[in-house]
Amino acid sequence: MSEALLEARRLVARYGSVEVLHEIDLGVAAGEIVALLGANGAGKTTLLRAISRVVSTRGEMELAGVSIVGWSGARTARAGVGHVPEGRGTFLDLTVAENLRLGGLARTREQRSSARTDLDQVYATFPVLADMRRRAAGLLSGGQQQMLAIGRALMARPRLLLIDEPSLGLAPMVTRQLFDTLARIRDEWATSLLIAEQNARLSLHIADRAVILTGGRVAAAGPAASFRDGDVIKRAYLGGGTRK
Amino acid sequence: MTELLQQLLDGLSSGLVYGMLALALSVVFQGTGMLNFAQGEMATLSAYATLVLLLAGVPFWVALGLAVLVSAAGGALIERVLVRRLEGAGELPLLTMSVALLLGLNAVMSIVWTTDPRTFPSPFGDGLMEAAGLRMTAQQVGSLITLVAVMAATALLFNRTSVGLRLRAVAQNPASATLLGQHQGRWLMAGWAIAAAVGAFGAVVAAPVLTLTPGMMTFPLLLALAAGTLGGLSSRVGAVVGGVLIGVANNLAGRYVPGLDGDLAIVAPFALTAVVVALRPAGLLGRTRTVRV
Repeated sequence: MSEALLEARRLVARYGSVEVLHEIDLGVAAGEIVALLGANGAGKTTLLRAISRVVSTRGEMELAGVSIVGWSGARTARAGVGHVPEGRGTFLDLTVAENLRLGGLARTREQRSSARTDLDQVYATFPVLADMRRRAAGLLSGGQQQMLAIGRALMARPRLLLIDEPSLGLAPMVTRQLFDTLARIRDEWATSLLIAEQNARLSLHIADRAVILTGGRVAAAGPAASFRDGDVIKRAYLGGGTRK
Repeated sequence: MTELLQQLLDGLSSGLVYGMLALALSVVFQGTGMLNFAQGEMATLSAYATLVLLLAGVPFWVALGLAVLVSAAGGALIERVLVRRLEGAGELPLLTMSVALLLGLNAVMSIVWTTDPRTFPSPFGDGLMEAAGLRMTAQQVGSLITLVAVMAATALLFNRTSVGLRLRAVAQNPASATLLGQHQGRWLMAGWAIAAAVGAFGAVVAAPVLTLTPGMMTFPLLLALAAGTLGGLSSRVGAVVGGVLIGVANNLAGRYVPGLDGDLAIVAPFALTAVVVALRPAGLLGRTRTVRV
């Protein structure tokens, strides 16, 4: 692993009295794509929300060597953590262009000058958004809203982009295209990606590494290639965890 | 014919007050997603603040400017101290709080300034304009111009500036706005500040006509709520149009419908509102999908 961008150690999160993440260790290196796999309820969404500091946790978490424990969600976002939430977080009454502009408002002063070219780049990555820039975001299809959510997060120039269930509600064909785009985004936007996804096959295809969650614990972690035969994954999804 | 036009014009003038108040309600609704029953009393407080400055010898427009700033600060303070504690508690506690604020402000104003009516000078003078047999007082003309100016300013703010974009974003989807680095609390506070400032303009438009009492805006607030319902609270233009329609309906019914003279005429605008809402639940210009209340 090259230099660590995100480093979480012994991360514990609870909703009320229920502990949903148990002592999670997770690292994401600069420029890396990590697939976060696991069944429904394994804790993927909570882990992403913990990283963007909208769920409070115990344990340590560092972004590029700086501890972000105790930071607010807004501050973490401004430090370069982009988050495309489950359900896409679309601002339905805002136009496509306004959604994207909103994404760029959290930029640092130095990044502001490049906002214009970044917007062009988002439109180049997702040409369909350019055609619909004046349309209310609520009128977009599911796939288009997913592209908009990713484009909006990119407008903040994230160092780390968290994406929650990008394939949710999308046709298989659209999903495949989306994952191809995600692989390109890493290079074109110089960002790391952490993708929580139920579709293991597509995620492993573009990921460098994979982390598998079961019942709020890391069941397995390693190079994506090592999971492609599917055994560990099957066990994780069928609820067996690491037990035999 | 001239008389009908004159009645329309007078109705429009009284509708301006409701429209201005409905505009303030709409700004809070759009900026924070909540209905603020205390909007009227907050506006009345702005009028008293203006009057205090006037009596201290401050020129009118300076006094108004200061009162608008103080009102904005007061609005922000109310959000920070009262509203934020109830964040996430649901709509009922928020509504209850705003009613409590209505009663509380009313009581405080009654203690400080008594309930005696006070004359409030018209910033536009006592002039009378006549054309083609129609009359308008300078106050009416000035109020109309003020309303249009405030509407234009809020439209620019909400639609053309990044502040407005953030306000709308936080009101619509606070969780998603946080993930984009927007400090939710800061922008909800700004929404309250802007609405209080709009309300201050409304109070200064209303006070010379209604004479200033602590309860000056209590009744207009009911009509402004009806205006918001009629025109659509999710649309600023809708809220103002609703206010004007209510003023006009009130005036025309009082003049032309037998038996509905005097205070009874108020039945007409509420009947109109009921009919419109039955046909278009979101109001004339409102959007069906609304944000959180």
